[in-house]
Amino acid sequence: MRDGEVLGLVGPNGSGKTTLLECLSGLLAADGGRVVRDARPFAPSERRDALFYMPDGILPWPDQRVAWILDFSAAIQGASREDVAEITRALDLLPLASQRAGTLSKGQRKRVLIALALLTPQPVLLLDEPFDGLDLRQIREVSPLLRRVAAAGRALLLSIHQLHDAARVCDRLVLLSDGRVVGEGTLDELRARAGRPQADVEEVFLALT
Amino acid sequence: MHSPNDAVWRRLADKERRELAASWAWLVLLVLLGPLVGHAFITAVESYAEASGSTGGPAALAQGLSPLDGIVVPTFGAYAIAVTLLFPFVAIRLVSSEKQSGSLKLLLQSRAPLGAMLVVKLLVVVGAWLLAWLPGLAALALWRAYGGHLAPAEVSAVLLGHLFRATLTCAFAIAAASLTDNAATAAVVTLALTLGSWALDFIAQVRGGLALALDAYTPESALRVFESGEIRLAIILVTLLLATAAIALALVWLHPGRTWRARAIGTTGIVAAAALAAWLAAHVRASWDVSEDHRNSFAPADERALAAIRDPLRVTVYLAPEDPRLADLERGVLRKLRRTMRDVDVRYVARGSTGLFARPGEHYGEVWYAIGGRDAMSRSTTEPIVLETIYTVAGITPPTPDSATAYSGYPLAARPRGAGMLLYLVWPLVVIAVWWWSRRPRQLPSLTS
Repeated sequence: MRDGEVLGLVGPNGSGKTTLLECLSGLLAADGGRVVRDARPFAPSERRDALFYMPDGILPWPDQRVAWILDFSAAIQGASREDVAEITRALDLLPLASQRAGTLSKGQRKRVLIALALLTPQPVLLLDEPFDGLDLRQIREVSPLLRRVAAAGRALLLSIHQLHDAARVCDRLVLLSDGRVVGEGTLDELRARAGRPQADVEEVFLALT
Repeated sequence: MHSPNDAVWRRLADKERRELAASWAWLVLLVLLGPLVGHAFITAVESYAEASGSTGGPAALAQGLSPLDGIVVPTFGAYAIAVTLLFPFVAIRLVSSEKQSGSLKLLLQSRAPLGAMLVVKLLVVVGAWLLAWLPGLAALALWRAYGGHLAPAEVSAVLLGHLFRATLTCAFAIAAASLTDNAATAAVVTLALTLGSWALDFIAQVRGGLALALDAYTPESALRVFESGEIRLAIILVTLLLATAAIALALVWLHPGRTWRARAIGTTGIVAAAALAAWLAAHVRASWDVSEDHRNSFAPADERALAAIRDPLRVTVYLAPEDPRLADLERGVLRKLRRTMRDVDVRYVARGSTGLFARPGEHYGEVWYAIGGRDAMSRSTTEPIVLETIYTVAGITPPTPDSATAYSGYPLAARPRGAGMLLYLVWPLVVIAVWWWSRRPRQLPSLTS
């Protein structure tokens, strides 16, 4: 991954996307393989300073109110009040501030999770299914936000199973199937590799897997 | 390794406090403590009044009546029930809920070190336990209002015992929650540990030996020592070591990215280190008898005479563990000897069981005392005769008793006025009202710059 890049990890359910992200972040011990940074092995103990992984489907501190969760997370991540205000505004979280996290809808919860990820200081963000639960309008609001974050210098690795979402926001794609990488590159490079220059991302994926 | 600054510590403590306030387990514990303490206190006051002659019983019964045994220990006995059956769930919830909700995965990637998180959880839960003492302390205040006597040192010893017991329970509960996938399994593990300590207590009474040595440090046995007005440093050290080992286990099992092999190695290392350290700590002999009637000590003249004996005392006891005479000897003599003399080595020779079909050996019932190559036997388990035997073996003249006045006790025939109203009704209502107030939306952190 390069600074400022949005890399999409694409594959069907059960293809190993979440497992790969958890291994990369160091939260899960890997059976094999290695992670390399600047041509040197990147030990799991060092990754906490560089990578932040936002899992999918979690519900942090469901008994607490959204404003407190954001404020607490900002404090322990070292984010400023300006960061909190900007991210709250960008993800339209102000109306949810007084709600308990446990009462949020799936889409609202996902926006809070994205906000928590953006409050972290790590230069690389690993986001598991960032669009899952969001409606079309919200996806169209969140996608440019993620692009702006990348443009500011952070690298994003997004695990996505909706191929069109991946094509919309990612610079490059890594196609996973049954735990194996079956293709890697920009959409045009993948089309060329599949021998389908006019195909959409779904046809490319089906051709390569 | 990150080192948390003060703000991170404060934030973590605030989080745990909020999570605790949102916990149903904590609310239920606080509400139930009122009736539990109330029943224990009211029963204790009524029994104390009867023993003090309120119902026209023999006056001799009131002699030596101690508020420690009659009021303080039974009232705080309610906390022994709560710490076993209710309190572990409060501690488990603080870890399990973060594991199950995914909050822990976020925290593990933050600036807050895992060790700091666990220590803060332990401190907040133990602090909450101190808050839960309010009904018990209110009951003792009522006792004073009735004109009852309390010795501050004795009360402090009992409270200290309950504090260490709660700390150990909390640390074990945190470890169980860290090792297991969910709160239900953690609760089963914690209760299994409690049942295991009860089983050890039972085995120790009938088997003796290693089980008896280990049993001295189970939460129940350790608390009994404090409840007798004795503060024993070895028990404090072993308790703190076990609590530290439990938190270290939690650290190993919650640490992200560890393989099962690494966790197994870490667990083995911690258990081995804790066992070694606890064994060393168990040899610390310092203890303080803070009971007002000095029940854990010999008379001062005897204490001085025994402390002056330089040679080690070897005691060989031919009594089976379940023999009540051994319990008398242990409680009335051997425990005090260990506190007083520099070097006391007790060997329990008789094994097996007593009873109708038992065939005790020819020495059964004998207790041999040996000092510096001389020995003597006594079958008595009473203090004056045993001390006389020891003085004879040591070749010293029995000391002249001091002219100290005997403990006369504090009989009091009082009725538990107001206790039912306060502990059955007012306390639960106050707890529920405070909980309801704390759940109301209050001023939230501003999300605008």
